[in-house]
Amino acid sequence: MKKNVFLFFLAVFAVLTGCQNNESGFPSSDNPTVVVSTKEIYGAPSRKFEIKAALADDLGLQSVRIQIPELALDKVIAFATDPLLTKYDLSYFFEVPANKGTSEAFKIKLTITDVSGNAIDEEINLRLDGEFAAPSITMITPKEGAVILLSTSNKMPVNFVVNDDSGIDYIQIQCAALGIDEKVQLTDAPQSYSFSKIYTLPVTADNYVLTITAKDKFAIPNTGTLNVNVVATNEYPAIYLCDQPKGTNLTTDAVGVPMYFHDKNGQDFEFKYYTDKDNKEIYFLGQESDFAPHCFGLNPLGELVDDVASTPIILPTKGYYVIKVNPNTLKYTATKYTPSSKVWADVANGLWHDEEAKRKPFVSVCGAGIQGADWDTWTAWAQTGLHLANNPNNPYQLVGEYTLTGTMEATFTGQWWSPSWRLIKNGIATMSPGENGNGKYPAAPGVYKVVLDTELERVFITKK
Amino acid sequence: MKYRFIWLFIVLLCSVATFGQITVKGTVKDKGNVPIPGVNVAVKGTATTGATDFDGNFTISVPSNNAQIEFSFIGFANKTVAVGDKTVLNITLEESSQVLDEIVVVGYAAVKKSDVTSSISSIKGKELQTMTVGNVAESLQGKVAGVQVTGQGGPGAQPRVLIRGISTVNLSTDPLYVIDGIPMGTSINFLSNNEIESMEVLKDASASAIYGSRASNGVILITTKKGKAGKTRFNFDMSSGMQIMNNPYNMANAQSYATIINKAYNNSGYADYLPNPSQYNGKTTDWWKAGIKSGAPVTNASLGVSGGSDTHTYSISLNYYNSESIYEVGGWERITMRINNDFKFSDKFSAGITLNPRYETWGAPNNWADFDKIDPITPIYKPADQLTGLENEYSIYARSPSYVWNPVAAVKRYDDFTDQYNLNTNGYLQYQPIKGLVIRTQASIEVGDKTQSIFKPDFVIDAAHEKAEINSVERTNTTNVDWTWQNTATYTRSFAGKHNASLMIGNTMEEYNGNDLWGYGEGVPNNSEEMREVNAATKNRNSKGNSWSNSLMSYISRFSYNYDNKYYFTGTFRRDGSSKFMTNNKWANFPSASVSWRILNEGFMEPAKEVLSDLRFRAGWGKVGNQGLPAAVYQSNIGQGFYPIGGIIADTSFPSSMANKDIKWETVEDISFGLDFGFWKNKLSGSLEYYQKKTNDMLFKKQFPTYSGFPDYSTIWTNVGSMQSSGIDLLVSYKDKKGDFSYGVDVTFTTVNVEMLSLSSEGERLYGAGNRTLTVKGEQPGYFYGYVADGLFQNQTQLNAHTDEHGTKLQPYAQVGDIRFKDVNGDGKIDDKDRTKIGSPWADYNVGLNLTFAYKQFDLVANFYSSIGNDIVNENIKDLYNGASLTNKVSGLEQMAWHGEGTSNYVPRLSKDDNNENFTKFSSFYVEDGSFVRMKNLQFGFSFYNKFGLDKLRISLSGQNLWTWTKYTGVDPEVAGGDEKKDDRVKGSGFGGWNYPVQPTILMGLNVAF
Repeated sequence: MKKNVFLFFLAVFAVLTGCQNNESGFPSSDNPTVVVSTKEIYGAPSRKFEIKAALADDLGLQSVRIQIPELALDKVIAFATDPLLTKYDLSYFFEVPANKGTSEAFKIKLTITDVSGNAIDEEINLRLDGEFAAPSITMITPKEGAVILLSTSNKMPVNFVVNDDSGIDYIQIQCAALGIDEKVQLTDAPQSYSFSKIYTLPVTADNYVLTITAKDKFAIPNTGTLNVNVVATNEYPAIYLCDQPKGTNLTTDAVGVPMYFHDKNGQDFEFKYYTDKDNKEIYFLGQESDFAPHCFGLNPLGELVDDVASTPIILPTKGYYVIKVNPNTLKYTATKYTPSSKVWADVANGLWHDEEAKRKPFVSVCGAGIQGADWDTWTAWAQTGLHLANNPNNPYQLVGEYTLTGTMEATFTGQWWSPSWRLIKNGIATMSPGENGNGKYPAAPGVYKVVLDTELERVFITKK
Repeated sequence: MKYRFIWLFIVLLCSVATFGQITVKGTVKDKGNVPIPGVNVAVKGTATTGATDFDGNFTISVPSNNAQIEFSFIGFANKTVAVGDKTVLNITLEESSQVLDEIVVVGYAAVKKSDVTSSISSIKGKELQTMTVGNVAESLQGKVAGVQVTGQGGPGAQPRVLIRGISTVNLSTDPLYVIDGIPMGTSINFLSNNEIESMEVLKDASASAIYGSRASNGVILITTKKGKAGKTRFNFDMSSGMQIMNNPYNMANAQSYATIINKAYNNSGYADYLPNPSQYNGKTTDWWKAGIKSGAPVTNASLGVSGGSDTHTYSISLNYYNSESIYEVGGWERITMRINNDFKFSDKFSAGITLNPRYETWGAPNNWADFDKIDPITPIYKPADQLTGLENEYSIYARSPSYVWNPVAAVKRYDDFTDQYNLNTNGYLQYQPIKGLVIRTQASIEVGDKTQSIFKPDFVIDAAHEKAEINSVERTNTTNVDWTWQNTATYTRSFAGKHNASLMIGNTMEEYNGNDLWGYGEGVPNNSEEMREVNAATKNRNSKGNSWSNSLMSYISRFSYNYDNKYYFTGTFRRDGSSKFMTNNKWANFPSASVSWRILNEGFMEPAKEVLSDLRFRAGWGKVGNQGLPAAVYQSNIGQGFYPIGGIIADTSFPSSMANKDIKWETVEDISFGLDFGFWKNKLSGSLEYYQKKTNDMLFKKQFPTYSGFPDYSTIWTNVGSMQSSGIDLLVSYKDKKGDFSYGVDVTFTTVNVEMLSLSSEGERLYGAGNRTLTVKGEQPGYFYGYVADGLFQNQTQLNAHTDEHGTKLQPYAQVGDIRFKDVNGDGKIDDKDRTKIGSPWADYNVGLNLTFAYKQFDLVANFYSSIGNDIVNENIKDLYNGASLTNKVSGLEQMAWHGEGTSNYVPRLSKDDNNENFTKFSSFYVEDGSFVRMKNLQFGFSFYNKFGLDKLRISLSGQNLWTWTKYTGVDPEVAGGDEKKDDRVKGSGFGGWNYPVQPTILMGLNVAF
């Protein structure tokens, strides 16, 4: 009996021993090692952070598991075993969900396993109160695209304000062409700093890029940079017609404000312009995005002057004008005229039709960055919300309302590009056959008012 | 008084007529002493025949004591008995174990089954006639090992028939059909199953090489019914019933549709598309009911008369088939006649002629899918306030926002019908100058005329996208005249008692000619039926016409020899010259050789004969070809197209295809081994075969390299690449009888493995079906190639884990509920390189099960067919489960689709935008197990013998395709090849979309013989 019992247990032992299987198939080895680059990581909602660590094993790494249960992260990175990997630099990015609060903190658990089955854990603290915004730089002068008329002055006043929540470490102004490289190291890390200095330009006309850098004092420093293009010239490259009151932010439109000139001969600029009411007030600007430094209006004597303090020019009655201006001679004329271009009437009753004779023109839009639009003219027809309507007060204007989603490109079109107006650079809507190349216009997402002036061949898309 | 006189006169005449006749009575039974009804009883040398009644009794008059009576019945050996002085004969018929003595047609000859050395399957017409089908090939399904038949629904549809798999990628895969010795192409839609006496399937090259350049897909020989000497016999066979068309999907009603679409919009961040779905409650448009008939009648009828004497036999049949479409218009109707006469002028000289006039008409809409896809909210007709009263009858229908054209309106407009008339005349003369030598010449001429007439009325349902501003009319007339002439001389002789030899030599000539003429016009003054003529068109008249011809000339020979009925050898040789090829390759040789060893006839097998009734081993080798490419690929062609040149649209010409003067046939070389066996007097019998066939010089249409200067779409046919298929065919058959009960079981089993051996260049990848299949060396052709769908993201953790090693999301637009695509190559990106093999359209094996039962006057037939191991791409998912389009969805989709963790791991969340490309990426999400088992036929019959003045009357009730088991969720698991026009015949196999389903059918049958 005892013998049988012994044999039974011997058999069980043999079976169990036989069943034991070293699943890894690798010899035993030392534990893997991990060296994290930091034990504390700063993150923020809707922002990616990086987990960095150096992993190693004397025989070979099998996997690393990264866990943050509260943030629904459970990632396993498995390593190839042929050949075995003994070192691995972990660099894993993860975006904190938007619904987390900046006061929250979590543990990141790393589990490193080697091919022998050894595993070690490592924890890293994750804080969501990180500050990752670069210092904001607000230019006062010169604005982007500013024109400095050398015949008037060769001084370039540079004024800007820097703000940062965690305090500013330093600011730096650079322009290699002008030999400027000025660094201002700030003490006590102020949250706001204003810079003001006048630089002298050489007398030769040129384009310059002013680079302003600001770095904050956060544990993981953030650096903000702004490039400002400045044109130093003896002549104005362009003049703009602005029908907005002084002080208006001229960068909120997608396109058309202020309006680019129509024709240029030397410094004689010619505009065609429609005023939608009597006594319309306008200025001429030497730059596109601001009223300064060159704003042409009237002095108390009614003469044209380049002065930010000047008063507006008045166009007495509603209608189309040809306006000529010379910023050097400071002369201008405004002459009313009656347009003779084709009127695109009744576009609201347009009809898509295969047979041209039965087609009725409609005007919609193809493009990008416009909600509902793509580059298919059928879509332009089918998306009735994109159709433009006649302006009851001006037969040469087609109006509508679009939702822009970002940088915009547009060609206003009927069926199969007939008729069509391609929006090229400077707000010019060239009617087919016109110029090639759609212009790209950055725009903040939102609802915009759209005016296509077929007489002016210009588009005005302004925030509603 | 006058009538009494006439009556007496008739009696007297009858008495005179019967004077001298002897009446013989008796009973016919089997060995088990069971009476056999329906046995044919004939007085030899006369036209007098009769048949036994249900109790096996017969009564027949014989002219004298010297007369002999012959008893014959299927499954039993014939028996001839001399009358002598007996007036009562009790006959016992022996069950025929000698099926080996059956005659099998082998191509330009007929031999005893025992002498067959190659792989040939034979099936009797009666077995094919148990089903009511438009195309006889459909009846073959599951009945012949090695033959895969994929049914196609719809009137006039042709099933796909593959004999031992495929041996080509770009050419036709259909077998060659030879009817009464005349090659008739790759379709037998024109043939009624009631016309067929037997069918022989030549499966291996040693059998089919005698058909040379057209035999690579196998050959099916069909022998039609012929008259037999004896009294005139009439047959009337009819089956009629309904083909049932159930909606394969349970589509959403209006309210449910609105809910589903809203959900898709909401999930993509949009407001409700159809606010307040409850407002649509009870307002569903039942499109299916409005346009699809639940049952479409089908009728198959045949009236035949046959008979003859020793010098002349005849057979005439009139056949009718009608299958209505599931729409209110259309269908397929066929009327054929076969008139056969065989004459024996003397012992040496005989002749025969068969006339086969045929008429077919067909045409039907094919938009049944639109009845499911159109949204259920749109009404059929425009509301009254949208009608002006000026619309024509085709413009009163409503337009659907789903962009599906109003299907009821489309059916109403349908007018596209084809009429075809054919006359085939097939005659032969046979002369036997000396014993054993037969000289035969046979000629056939086929004349056909086909007219397709199309009228498209003008209509405006939606001025933007659903309209035809002007009506149009067109007519295409195609005429063909084909002729064949073949001459053979066969000498058969036995010598020295044990040597049996036969030599056949001959030649054949075939020519196929055709021409067509197309006329077109627009602006017919109105849409009335009377005006639908090209002559009535007032605008844009146009016409085209063409003619074509190809021919084939061949020399054929066969030598057969056997020694002592033990060792057999057959060799064939065919030399084909085809007009499709130029001088270099105009002629090609197709040899074959096969041997057979009847092991059972060996002396040492004597002891086994108690059990074994047949044991044979066969081996064969042969070469066959495929010349099924367009007739003029050796010509260069100029194409035409419009291109902008300097801003002006110009009508241009370009080289569209270039000649390859070295083009030649695809050649298939195969070897085959078989074992035939029979036990217990062939109660259990069968055969097991293995084959391997290799295709060389495969024909591909290749593009020119860019540097050649030819446009991208300019192509050239080239002989490149090779492929191989191999497999096993198994047939096991068991038949027995116990008293009044008899039964039979046939099982067929077919496996096919296909592999590409080489393509035109190393590493070449041939895509098909819109880049969704791939053909590469070492793999099956046309396997499904796409992304691997690895379930759905059930929660945020799973979504977050789907990154590369640096945390970059592999599917940046995915949300929970979307499909997780597998990073197959592990490179941290989901891109083209992650596509892999995700399924195969080719079945691992096919099984057929055929059961027959009979008890007294009852009989039952059941046929099952299955395809196991193949996959199908269910393309309809893209319509039915996808929230991105406005077409209707399956009912309950909002619950089927993922709507929370654990709710689904298959149907992704509803989404208007489908940013994750759940539906636009071709993935294993679309691939389903296509295996199925289908009860093809269940037929129950009851027979009367010698009742009502008839020899036989049988009534039957049958159901076809009544039951199907499958996991496939699409329309029908019988899915065949792809679009031939896109060269996707093979490479596009297994894509199941809105294919017309094989319909369940209920039929009543009537068979009368007198």
